[in-house]
Amino acid sequence: MIAGLVLAVLATLAFGALLAVALDGRLAILAAQGARQRVETEAPDRLNRDLAPAWYLALAAIGLSVVPFAEGAALIDSPVGIVVWGSCEALIVVTVFLHGWSPNAPFPLIGAYRYAAIGLPVLLPSMFVLIAAALPAESLSFVAIVDSQRELWNVIRQPLGLPLFCIVALALTLRGPMDYADAADIATGTSAEESGPARVLWDIARAAMLVSVSAIAATVFLGGPLGPVLPGPVWLWLKIAGLMALFVLGGRRIARTTPSRMLSILWVILLPLSFLHLAISGVLAL
Amino acid sequence: MTDLIVSLLAAFAAWTGWRVFRVDSMVRASFSLMLSFVAVGGIGVVLSAPYIGIATIFMMAVEMMVMAIFMVMFMMNPAGLNPMVMVHQHRISIAAGLLAATGLGVAILSTPLPSNPVPAEAPVVAQLGHELLGPSMLIFETAGVTLLATMIGAVILSSRRGRFGAADEGARPPGLDPGGPPAGRRPESGGGHHHHGGHS
Repeated sequence: MIAGLVLAVLATLAFGALLAVALDGRLAILAAQGARQRVETEAPDRLNRDLAPAWYLALAAIGLSVVPFAEGAALIDSPVGIVVWGSCEALIVVTVFLHGWSPNAPFPLIGAYRYAAIGLPVLLPSMFVLIAAALPAESLSFVAIVDSQRELWNVIRQPLGLPLFCIVALALTLRGPMDYADAADIATGTSAEESGPARVLWDIARAAMLVSVSAIAATVFLGGPLGPVLPGPVWLWLKIAGLMALFVLGGRRIARTTPSRMLSILWVILLPLSFLHLAISGVLAL
Repeated sequence: MTDLIVSLLAAFAAWTGWRVFRVDSMVRASFSLMLSFVAVGGIGVVLSAPYIGIATIFMMAVEMMVMAIFMVMFMMNPAGLNPMVMVHQHRISIAAGLLAATGLGVAILSTPLPSNPVPAEAPVVAQLGHELLGPSMLIFETAGVTLLATMIGAVILSSRRGRFGAADEGARPPGLDPGGPPAGRRPESGGGHHHHGGHS
């Protein structure tokens, strides 16, 4: 049972990351990048520079391991699964910051500070949305949240949840409108001084994180492995792939605004909106 | 097994805690402290307090991220990569450290600690919830609302935009010499009338 779940997590992460890179149309670019030489900056923090991609990949794996692949079967069946994922989110912000801080160069550092400023307020709607999903389940465990969606998926019961979580997903995977870390306007930001295998690993970790975030969204809003006829894991994989395509499309189609305006949007519009979402979900769950 | 994991995590927490004072950058110090707290959170998880343990990791990751930014800001060490010494006032801090360590050590060793392991099937998270929103509700709600008000206040105070215009309008940096001309760029002709209006 446990061996099967370990295999399911690893295979989902590997094939999902491959699908994510393919959806981005970056397979050939990544392959060519791997053959390039490594760039050295002056007096970098080597430990954090080398470890940041590994941390990012590890956080994606931890996030995916709390997701139930069949009803009642998660690799880490934690009674506080939501808090485990919340810790992953907070550590992602730290990891991306360290990735930009460690090369000791201007563009990566700008990316790191921009991302920290945007990433921290993004965590607040994320927590409210996840807590709202925990209310009808009366539990912080993802297994119980899946169980609570047997009659009605959360995407219908809590209509604001998935749109708000989409913003969180774009921020955590450094995509499109929420990519304040690795954006083109600051010469790919935290990755600007990175080349060769390290850069490939960072991009693979980003792709793996897209799988992980989509799996969490599928579990919390789309009933996870619930579905007729097909077995549970297949339903989960289909939902993950659909959400990944949605996030990739959103990342491509929606324009990015300036960090200061995005900060206003996050604090003044999205945070009160997520409060409202929590309040409505709480009243409905009573 | 539990004893071994707790000892290893405790040793890691102590080592990373010691590193906080040995590294030469505020960012490294902040995240060493974060690793120390992550190990403490791990001890909480092993000791059947999953919510408190993992919430510690969550809060410390956010808190140390904020702390790293503020430390770098206040230390005027732009990237946090310029080497600097993390310790000062050696004599006082050695005395304070010895006093605190001895006091806490005596307090722990002289307290009769209970030894009744939690049964594996006990609903510890639900029990904690009932405690927080039952007998201890007043304390936690008071602390929670106070912290929320502090956070909102801090965000409003640090915002550049305000009811009466930008916070730094007409502000000048201090001179490099006492009484000297302001350092850095001067605002052009001082008047506020041809500035851009607020965005909203």
